[in-house]
Amino acid sequence: MLQYIFKRVLLMIPTLFGVAIIIFLLLRVVPGDVVEARYMAQGSQFLSQDLMDQERKKLGLDQPLWRQFTSWMGGVLRLDFGLSMWTGSPITEEIKLRFALSLQLAIMATAVATLLAIPLGILSAIKQDTWIDYAVRVFSIAGLAMPSFWLGILMILGMLIIFKWLPPMVYTPFWVNPWDNLAQLIWPALAVGYRYSAVATRMMRSAMLEVLREDYIRTARAKGLWLKLILARHALKNALLPVITVIGLEFAFLLGGLVVTEQVFNLNGLGLLFVEAISHRDYTLTQALVLIVASFFIFVNFATDIAYAWLDPRIRFR
Amino acid sequence: MMKRLASLLTVAASAMLVMPAHVHAQKYGGELIFPVPSEPPSYDGHREETFGLIHPLAPFYNTLLRVDPNDRGGTKPYPSIAESWTASADGKTYTFKIRSGVKFHDGSTLTSKDVKASYDKIIFPPEGVGSSRKGQYADVASVEAPDASTVVFRLKRPSGSFIASLLSPYNFIYKADILAKDMHWYEKNIMGTGPFTFVEHVKGSHVVGKKNANYWDKGKPYLDGFRAIFIRSSSAQVAAVRGERAHIQFRGFTPADRDSLKAALGDKITVQESPWDCILMVALNHEKKPFDDKRVRRALSLALDRYQASEALSKIAIVKSVAGVQVPGTPYATPPEELEKIAGYWKDIDKSRAEARRLLKEAGAENLSFTFKNRGTPMPYEPLAVWLIDQWRQIGVTVKQEVIEPAAYYTPLRSGDFQVAMDFQCGYIVEPDLDMYKFLSVDRNHANYGRYTDRVLDEMYDKQSSATSDEERKKYIRAFEKRLLDEEAHYLMTLQWHRIIPHSSKVKGWTVTPSHYLNNTLDVVWLDQ
Repeated sequence: MLQYIFKRVLLMIPTLFGVAIIIFLLLRVVPGDVVEARYMAQGSQFLSQDLMDQERKKLGLDQPLWRQFTSWMGGVLRLDFGLSMWTGSPITEEIKLRFALSLQLAIMATAVATLLAIPLGILSAIKQDTWIDYAVRVFSIAGLAMPSFWLGILMILGMLIIFKWLPPMVYTPFWVNPWDNLAQLIWPALAVGYRYSAVATRMMRSAMLEVLREDYIRTARAKGLWLKLILARHALKNALLPVITVIGLEFAFLLGGLVVTEQVFNLNGLGLLFVEAISHRDYTLTQALVLIVASFFIFVNFATDIAYAWLDPRIRFR
Repeated sequence: MMKRLASLLTVAASAMLVMPAHVHAQKYGGELIFPVPSEPPSYDGHREETFGLIHPLAPFYNTLLRVDPNDRGGTKPYPSIAESWTASADGKTYTFKIRSGVKFHDGSTLTSKDVKASYDKIIFPPEGVGSSRKGQYADVASVEAPDASTVVFRLKRPSGSFIASLLSPYNFIYKADILAKDMHWYEKNIMGTGPFTFVEHVKGSHVVGKKNANYWDKGKPYLDGFRAIFIRSSSAQVAAVRGERAHIQFRGFTPADRDSLKAALGDKITVQESPWDCILMVALNHEKKPFDDKRVRRALSLALDRYQASEALSKIAIVKSVAGVQVPGTPYATPPEELEKIAGYWKDIDKSRAEARRLLKEAGAENLSFTFKNRGTPMPYEPLAVWLIDQWRQIGVTVKQEVIEPAAYYTPLRSGDFQVAMDFQCGYIVEPDLDMYKFLSVDRNHANYGRYTDRVLDEMYDKQSSATSDEERKKYIRAFEKRLLDEEAHYLMTLQWHRIIPHSSKVKGWTVTPSHYLNNTLDVVWLDQ
């Protein structure tokens, strides 16, 4: 098992290096730069070319690409992502607060999704072709059909029109004021978690149906084991494998991919920061965010594989 | 002399009669909450260009002069750090008397040295220090501080717009000692003399200010503090006002937002509206054929039914008035009956389009087709582009729209890699020198994306700028406008933006102006609660 983990960790290094090269080059292919984004957004007419050249020099944008890349990579190896080209602040400072919010939202949405998906998926499978199964399938298909931001807009409008109430617009960390924190984050967590649960419910149902038709389940039933015991000890563990993959990938996606939902609920998260960094052509911040999200994806995939190996011992011996 | 004295006394007496009632009506306390659609990149007003800096940070600072906060036209100079000023007879020396008793938030006293240091940074920035508006002060030869309460600006030549240029809300007065140690200090720190002191800025979230108890203007500010919340999505901004999580958004909402807020909240919402000192224009690249031919350019202007557009588009977009080179209703704006004489502004659209078709035929461009580059900002670029394309189609012109992401938008404009493109101008004050500078020959202003050279136009600009009377100035502005929009049709104007501010009826003391950069010091704002 340890050797397996070691191999997987080693594989992460070239993956991240590849990501770094690709994002570095892609950003520089896109027209415009941070200086133009900063000074031309208001259509300025009094701006001199000298000022723009000076700013580019200050940011190192006049340097050859290889030098820009090596100086950035040197910093990354020391875990120093540098300064944001847009704000001039350390990138770790820019990301810190947003990361906390995004991580909490990802955890809450995953919790909502898991709490809905696993019981509903199992119920739907064991009650196949009954009204319960149909109801669960309608519920999950509706979740797939509705984008979470749209559901978020409906939630906000509903709260405004019916209760004349709106969730807080400013993020309060959980340890500062749990009530304000939850009052803001529970709604996006429900909106995102519902869509997320829809995918996992359908996956859980089909995996469970497949497992329930396996020989060893028939054998367990023939031995006269309790249904609950069969489900918990024999079926669930095997049926969970594909569901864990879905949950893991969705969790990683939630960290930086909730751009529109963050806008709808005015959440100061990583998704919005990502979009702003790109629209400002803030190369250093975008590169850092891509690396962080890529690392997170890789880590979640790694954790998923470890969970696989734990759930299915055959994997770790291959 | 006696008559003037009598009228002055009458004004003073009326002011005394009016003032007490006005003062007593104001209430103290409360926190003003407002969404800001964008966040300042740094805290340095001299360097940045965005209203995203002005809205949350202006309350921490004072400027040398300001625009009268009660002037809806947004053009009247009003004392701030300078309590009075005089101009020399030759118009080349301006002397400002600096108010005494003004304290920085660190307790130190503001003197003329601080004003000089701030303006030196704006006008004569050292190498490596960014100043966005340096170009506006090209006429300034020096800034002097002969004593602690006097600042003198010496100009190279008289300038009709010099005082207006000092009204810029970006020209925060910084502390000279700090600038002497570190010219970049104000990029990351906030410390001014304004009515509010800085409490916190949580990146991506909000800025908080609290009342400056030692503010020099005794009795102000009325608010205990303010909270500027960064909300990018316009629907979330509207929801914040509707859900009473915010009192006001100072930039502006769309007509649909105004109507929905009014319908939902009734009397709890007060709406203030004004023509907006921003306009989208069509830049025709004179270096690309056939746009070097003024008949083609005129035809494209003649195709536009601006009056019908004003009626239709003002219902769905933040545009309204038909305008020339000045915001309608402001001192130098061309009256509507005169504007109607300019090609493209005729009331008879059939006659106008017939002339457009004739001109295209004459120029050999009957089946004209081109690519129109537009900025990927939905409001109001999108509806205006749809309107333009439809209007041009009606004279047989085929247009393909290419939408470009905002951050990359000015790359083709600056390099000249376009045929026809949407261009934009927005000002902090309505002032012909500032508004018309855009249209000078390309060697005088690189932001002239029409890329033309027109010395006649340049001369008219210079003449209006140095005109000694309002009437004379108006005459040159009219001639400039006629040449720019009609005779040469260098640029095509669309419609003036229209600023709509639906705000909580609790917000008092704030007056809408044509600029979303003005009236954000918040010293006169109070909450009726």
